[in-house]
Amino acid sequence: MSSPVIRVQNVTQRFRLIQERPDSIRELFARAFRHNSQYHDFDAIQNVSFDVHEGEMVGIVGRNGSGKSTLLKVVAGVYTPTFGSVEVRGTLAPLIELGAGFHGELTGRENVLMNGLLMGFSKREMQTREASILEFAEIGDFIDAPVKQYSSGMYMRLAFAVATEVNPDILVVDEILAVGDEPFQRKCFERIERFRRTGKTILFVTHSMEQVVEHCDRAIYLDSGKMVADGRPEKIVDLYFAANAIEHSPLEHVSHT
Amino acid sequence: MIELIRDSIKYRELIWALALKELKIRYKRSVLGFLWALLNPLLLMLVLTAVFSNLMGANIPHYAIFLLSVLLPWTFFAQSLAYAAESIVGNADLIKKVRVAKSVFPMAAVVSNMINLFLSLIPLVLIVLMLQHFLYATWLFLPIPLLALTLFTVGATFFFATLNVFYRDVAHILQIVLQVWFYVTPVLYSIDAFPAKYRWLFKLNPLIFVLNGFRLSVYYGMLPSVQSVVASFACGLVALFVGLAIFKRFQDRFVFYV
Repeated sequence: MSSPVIRVQNVTQRFRLIQERPDSIRELFARAFRHNSQYHDFDAIQNVSFDVHEGEMVGIVGRNGSGKSTLLKVVAGVYTPTFGSVEVRGTLAPLIELGAGFHGELTGRENVLMNGLLMGFSKREMQTREASILEFAEIGDFIDAPVKQYSSGMYMRLAFAVATEVNPDILVVDEILAVGDEPFQRKCFERIERFRRTGKTILFVTHSMEQVVEHCDRAIYLDSGKMVADGRPEKIVDLYFAANAIEHSPLEHVSHT
Repeated sequence: MIELIRDSIKYRELIWALALKELKIRYKRSVLGFLWALLNPLLLMLVLTAVFSNLMGANIPHYAIFLLSVLLPWTFFAQSLAYAAESIVGNADLIKKVRVAKSVFPMAAVVSNMINLFLSLIPLVLIVLMLQHFLYATWLFLPIPLLALTLFTVGATFFFATLNVFYRDVAHILQIVLQVWFYVTPVLYSIDAFPAKYRWLFKLNPLIFVLNGFRLSVYYGMLPSVQSVVASFACGLVALFVGLAIFKRFQDRFVFYV
């Protein structure tokens, strides 16, 4: 098998719970005098390891608070892991949240450029892609209006278009496909499928077991920050349903065929 | 240090775009737009000149130029700091969602104020011509103090941007520090107004050498001494190294505190 494009090794991400932290100098002094520096550490993900190979589409599933988004952020480089290591080969577009980095006062066009620059692409690269971004986003003349005037649908279409049109080697997607209307979702999935066909790697978080079975090559199941299972999507979905006692899933026929 | 230069080159387009965004947002939806960047210093100059020419100007001819030659670089420094202190916290949304070199945010604050400084040179030149003061050849020396001041400013911005992530009081304290700093720095007045035995006190101010370089070149048409240039760069480099070291030490933790 080819060498992995994402290698996550023994990653633990520790958070110091925010309420316990002195927020101001006054509290700091108060604490210094009381000599109680108690705080509470919380490991959002614990000792997680996995590899993702080129061209794979991997779904990450788990209950709310199981550490899925944290894991994506570690892979995307937003967090530096407390322990362990993450290696990524190739360019990576983090779709942690659609429209992260959009500024309401700037026009769509300005935001497209800014977003691309934030992801590490050059101005020239963005200008050559501008036309196709606009085409996918279907927002017409609004491109030169400030994005605060956009409808939420227009906003999402533009954000999705930017993140995918920059043509990264790896796409990291967080639940965003749960938003938007049916045609838009379909369009997004078509694009993701097209991505797969060109051998790109996709790591995505979802709550839809349907999407996992339908699109993924592999799935990873997280529970309370620990990796419970890693394997074929059908197997993982069964495990998930079993663990969460969802007996009469409308998807059962899918997961058993 | 090398990392900062590398990141600044790699992200130069982003820093530029962020700096322009800063200015665009500041002037957006105002009728005069970018003209404010010119008008603001001009109006401030008029007010300060009107007030202080009478107070101090009796023995300082062309007081406006005397004042502005230091006030403009000071404003660049103070504004950069005020902006940069908030730059990490203010971009929390981005820092939490996109992997990007965090140094771009304070850098952008410095760059946007640098653009403002250049714009405000236009009214300064106009005033020089209007008052028929000399446009000395020593203006050509200005890039040297500007470089030293920029080193110092970048260092200070990195320092305060880091501190403000962990203690939000810092932005407020900074405002007071800047106020006091302004008055103990010979911007409005000349150091010569003080008895010689107290003048050494001013030398404790790390900005004194570099600001003096601006005043000498623009107002007196003289060049600062070599020692004074060396001292200004020494202050700049120390600030840069300290600021960078602290920023680098803590930048990976910013995301948990913004």
